[in-house]
Amino acid sequence: MLSERELERYDRQIMIFGVEGQEKLKGSKVAVVGVGGLGSPVAYYLAAAGIGTILLIDEQTPELSNLNRQILHWEEDIGKNPKPLSAKWKLERFNSDIKIETFVGRLTEENIDEVLDGVDVIVDCLDNFETRFLLDDYAHRKRVPLVHGAVEGTFGQVTTVVPGITKSLREIFPNAGKKEGKFPILGATAGVVASIQVLEVIKLLTGLGEPLLNKLLIVDLAFNTFDVVELK
Amino acid sequence: MKVTVRYFARYRSLVGKSEEEIEVPDGITVRELIEILKERHPVLKNEVFAEEDDLADVNVSRNGRYVRFDEVLRDGDVIALFPPVSGG
Repeated sequence: MLSERELERYDRQIMIFGVEGQEKLKGSKVAVVGVGGLGSPVAYYLAAAGIGTILLIDEQTPELSNLNRQILHWEEDIGKNPKPLSAKWKLERFNSDIKIETFVGRLTEENIDEVLDGVDVIVDCLDNFETRFLLDDYAHRKRVPLVHGAVEGTFGQVTTVVPGITKSLREIFPNAGKKEGKFPILGATAGVVASIQVLEVIKLLTGLGEPLLNKLLIVDLAFNTFDVVELK
Repeated sequence: MKVTVRYFARYRSLVGKSEEEIEVPDGITVRELIEILKERHPVLKNEVFAEEDDLADVNVSRNGRYVRFDEVLRDGDVIALFPPVSGG
C-alpha cells in the first residue's frame, strides 16, 4: 500500500503506469552492480522512481578522477567512503521511503548466490566482462532478468537479458572481456545509457512498453545515432 | 554485387565515415567482407578485427540482424560493424 505522501511524491509517474505500477516498484528489489559511472545515475533514478529496495554492490572507494561521471560520489568521499556507502548516504536523504542495502566487496562465484538472493532485477553497471559473465551465469541459473549497459567515450550499448527468452551476454559478446584499465568516458554519456537502463528496469517491473529483449541498442552521442540491432 | 557497410563507434572514427557502398564479389561471407575492409582501410588492421572467429572483437549485423562470420551476403545487404564496449 502506498502512503498519502508516496501518492503525492510519485503522482507524475503514476499518470503513466498507475498506482498498481507504483506498488510493483515499491515491492521490488533491484541490484545495482557497480556504483560508478553507470551505477551512480542508475541508483539515483531507481531511488527517484521509488524502487522499494536497492542493493548497491562495489568494492572500490572513489578517486578524484571518478568524479567527472560518478555523480553520487563527492569530494568528501574520495579515498574514504566505499562507493556503496557513499551512495547510500545520499540516496537515503534523497528518498527516505526506500531501503538501501549495500555489499562492499567483489562478486565471486562463491558469494554471488548469497549477495543477490531475493533480487528481482539485476542492473549491470560493471566495467569488465569477466564479472558481467558471472552475473550472466547467475541470471540464467536463477532466472532473474539482467539489464546490461556499457559505455566508452561518447558511445554505449544496452540490452536486456531474460533467461529462457533472450540470448545470454556470453552469446551476444563471446569475445569481449580482454580489455582492461583506463578508458575514455564522459559523465553525460554514462547518464544517457544509465537512464535507458533504468527505463528497462521500470518496463520489466510494470509491464510498460517493450524492453530491449533480443535487441541491442547502440548509441553514438557524438554523431546522434541510436540504432537497434536484432539479436535473433 | 554491392553492399552498404556501416561503421559504428570507434570504427566510425577510424574509417572517417559512417557508411559506404562497396562493390564486392558475389556470394562472399561476412568474414571475406571483413578481409576486404581491412585492405580498404588498413587502419582497421590495428584493431582486433576478425583475425578468426574466437578472437574477433567485432560484432556484425546484416540488415539489422546479428550474424555470424560464415553468413553469406547478398546484393543490397546493409552490414553494420560495431565494437562491443565494456566500460561502466
